[in-house]
Amino acid sequence: MKNLVSRWVSRRRNDFTTKKISNMEDKKSQTPKVTGIGGIFFKCKDPNKMKEWYKTHLGIDAGQYGASFEWYQDAEGKKKGLTQWNLNSEAAKLYEPSTKGFMINYRVNNLEALVEELKKEGVTVLDKVETYDYGKFVHILDAEGNKIQLWEPTDE
Amino acid sequence: MKKITLITFALATSFCFGFAFKSITTSNSGSNTKMKRVTGIGGIFFKCKDPKKLKEWYQIHLGLNTNQYGTVFEWYQGADSSKKGFSQWSPFKETTKYFEPSTKEFMINYRVENLEALIEELKKEGVTITDTLQIVDYGKFVHIMDTEGNKIELWEPNDIVYEKLGIQMGLKTTK
Repeated sequence: MKNLVSRWVSRRRNDFTTKKISNMEDKKSQTPKVTGIGGIFFKCKDPNKMKEWYKTHLGIDAGQYGASFEWYQDAEGKKKGLTQWNLNSEAAKLYEPSTKGFMINYRVNNLEALVEELKKEGVTVLDKVETYDYGKFVHILDAEGNKIQLWEPTDE
Repeated sequence: MKKITLITFALATSFCFGFAFKSITTSNSGSNTKMKRVTGIGGIFFKCKDPKKLKEWYQIHLGLNTNQYGTVFEWYQGADSSKKGFSQWSPFKETTKYFEPSTKEFMINYRVENLEALIEELKKEGVTITDTLQIVDYGKFVHIMDTEGNKIELWEPNDIVYEKLGIQMGLKTTK
């Protein structure tokens, strides 16, 4: 634990050094960390029926890949952000090796650097960074076996 | 020439009338279904063995600014970027009664507009509402069940008060 704390402190110290040599905006997007919730996924018996229910009663209009909640990263409304919401069948392998019925996707800055740090810190990284049109992804496990999806989005 | 102008005018008028009439009828019959319901994710809560340790883990490894309640993610609203929006993230003890009667290990909080009107609609639609409307400084709350036994928290936020409270308590958001 002490070891982890000292790593955390040293990471913050590194942030400080970075801050000195670059401007705030660069620092903000370079610091490898979680910046928001990128998505919430959960298992259910009948995803189609459930999507219908959520559409009818809560107005969440989910297609095959779920629904996207749109927001902005800045007060000027220049950079969009989105949080994906989706339901999966109970047989979904996406959540493995976690046995939980839900999975959270976190938006991150600088995924490649974050993965390197997580590996050094002994965090279980389940796969390699995959790059798609809409961003980079990797999956890790938290301390209690919850699978986490990390996403560095390409918001445009 | 005059005739053509008159015909064009008559056609345009009838078109406009038709359009106006249609919008009146659809807005009357469709007001319930057109009502904005959920506008965003207000929070994600999940059970764990050791919330304190887990929060520490997320702070150390993923950079979440955690506090006794978890963390708050800060963003700007899609409908109006000058307004901030917040999503609460909190791990709970496995013994928590907060998710009951759901037996699931997670609960989602959805941000809504006009919670009172939504509750009326949901009641008419036969949706299970597990408590009564609660009004606090930072918004209105109610809990409902979906068709597969997931408890849902509905929140009509007062984001300005919510932010103020966080600042007063000296809590940092995650962004």
